[in-house]
Amino acid sequence: MENGYQEKVILVTGGSGLVGNGIKYAVENGEQRKGEKWIYATSKDGDLTDLESTRAMFAMFQPTHVIHLAAKVGGLFGNLKANLEFLRKNIIINDNVLRTAHENNVQHVVSCLSTCIFPDKTTYPINETMVHNGPPHDSNYGYSYAKRMIDIMNRGYNQEHGRNYTSVIPTNVFGPEDNFNLEEGHVLPGLIHKVYQAKKEGKPLTVWGTGKPLRQFIYSRDLGRLIVWVLREYKETEPIILSVGEEDETSIKEAAEKVAEAMDFKNGLIFDTTKSDGQYKKTADNAKLRRYLPDFKFTPIGEALKETCDWFVANYETARK
Amino acid sequence: MACTKKVILLTGGTGLVGQGIKSAAEQNPQPNEEFIFLSSKDADLTSREATKSIFEKHRPTHVIHLAAKVGGLYGNMRANLQFFRINMSINDNVLSVSQEYGVKKVVSCLSTCIFPDKTSYPIDETMIHNGAPHTSNYGYSYAKRMIDVLNKGYNQQHGTNYTAVVPTNVFGPHDNFNLEEGHVMPGLIHKVYKCKENNTPLTVWGTGSARRQFIYSLDLGRLFLWVLREYQETEPIILSVGEEDEISIKTAAELVAKGFDYEGEFVYDTTRSDGQYKKTASNSKLRKYLPEFKFTPIDEAIRATCQWFSEHYKKARI
Repeated sequence: MENGYQEKVILVTGGSGLVGNGIKYAVENGEQRKGEKWIYATSKDGDLTDLESTRAMFAMFQPTHVIHLAAKVGGLFGNLKANLEFLRKNIIINDNVLRTAHENNVQHVVSCLSTCIFPDKTTYPINETMVHNGPPHDSNYGYSYAKRMIDIMNRGYNQEHGRNYTSVIPTNVFGPEDNFNLEEGHVLPGLIHKVYQAKKEGKPLTVWGTGKPLRQFIYSRDLGRLIVWVLREYKETEPIILSVGEEDETSIKEAAEKVAEAMDFKNGLIFDTTKSDGQYKKTADNAKLRRYLPDFKFTPIGEALKETCDWFVANYETARK
Repeated sequence: MACTKKVILLTGGTGLVGQGIKSAAEQNPQPNEEFIFLSSKDADLTSREATKSIFEKHRPTHVIHLAAKVGGLYGNMRANLQFFRINMSINDNVLSVSQEYGVKKVVSCLSTCIFPDKTSYPIDETMIHNGAPHTSNYGYSYAKRMIDVLNKGYNQQHGTNYTAVVPTNVFGPHDNFNLEEGHVMPGLIHKVYKCKENNTPLTVWGTGSARRQFIYSLDLGRLFLWVLREYQETEPIILSVGEEDEISIKTAAELVAKGFDYEGEFVYDTTRSDGQYKKTASNSKLRKYLPEFKFTPIDEAIRATCQWFSEHYKKARI
């Protein structure tokens, strides 16, 4: 049945977001292959919390492959306020996408997890075998459990129906087309937006928390290239962590300094320690990725941040904030 | 406040646990409590519309949620995806519709089989999510665990008092006595009944030395009612006899034989696995709340169940 000219239709749910655009960039800058049609679906194309709407979307696009990115997401404070909603909405979205994919005989689905769903009490570095080894951090247990259940369903579909449904676990993603909203967004887009504002107002930058927490950041365009590789080559049910190595972990303070540098900001940094830090460390092991792709080159973080900041400044009016 | 009418809806009300609650409620009725025992004939709880219809019809103030897709070891192993998806659907429908209809108290039913496979003993209520469950029934286990996560979410967001109980091995009338699908006690009861009828020796699988905590469905029923009326925590509560009342499979078989006045020979098929030697669950939280609660002596409970089985053989689930 495998025919190089048979069209592959790859449906990317949540296609207009940060990661979706990273994939789009990668596809349009070298990753696209002959006979492939890539579709970047958005919430305008269908409501994935509704089964009939999901089915209609699949009927319209007729995908042979799915990259499932759509989710209800939010930063630390968004999650803290509404764990029940994050749990229920994401469970419904994920169940609708996987069952509809299965109904449409889609053999490959790559879903997107996150390092924030790992057990809160754990040893470091964390690896792919540890996802279910204990409760997640209390701040976002709703989102975390819903994402963990993707892995459970992947196992079920693969065991019972011989599918190749799997998932990836990126660490902190950043890049163009992110959500730069200060309440809802994550730490790097938040810093970028704040520096932009502080620069305009001639004020110093206020960073929430102590600045001490450590994170591994992955540029959305690098993540895009890796997800395309996973879709084509990765055959395991168990997830795969997609990240720079432990040696490239950055503190929030350091990240703020790099953003300031990228935006030529000179008014200084203040740390608001009344705000929560979230988890101190979430070091993820990328050994599995390195076994498969020992030569993969990540974009240096200074360069990636410069591109992202330049994009934000150029697109300030239309950026999500 | 004691005179406010309570309408208590029980999903899965016709099963082993539901009927245990029914007996307990009939033994100790409260004038302001009305019980409605639902079965799958009344509503398909995998459908949100059907679930809403039944809530609309009965307007419950309280819910005891027992309905689930259940099965024995082999049923689960073959169909983990189904056990996961169907139970997730049922549980989400019951809890979300309960919240929509202003139900402030829902008591759901978990199981000790959902606990982490790799664990220390005795297990207690804080340990449920501390690792992956046994692979044979991961679908059922994760779906049940998500009840606890949903309870937390509803209580935080809506100020409800949704909670769950964790019974150990339940036995009693109205059980599933099928030898393939059922659990150890009903399995022994069914076997001894047939051995007495056919005058054959009883074959017990394993060495008989494995130890388990058994809880009589009538006692579980009485405790369920206490949880419904008094227990305010979100965290689940284990409902079980203590470690001191653990009995071996050999003792259980002997008590079942007594229950039928069966005097045949016992044969231990030691080629069969014993399963885990001990799976002790701690009942100290229960004992902190109810230090004086008296469980039915096990020989009495087994004898009563054997009697029930004899009298209802034709209608029992076998």
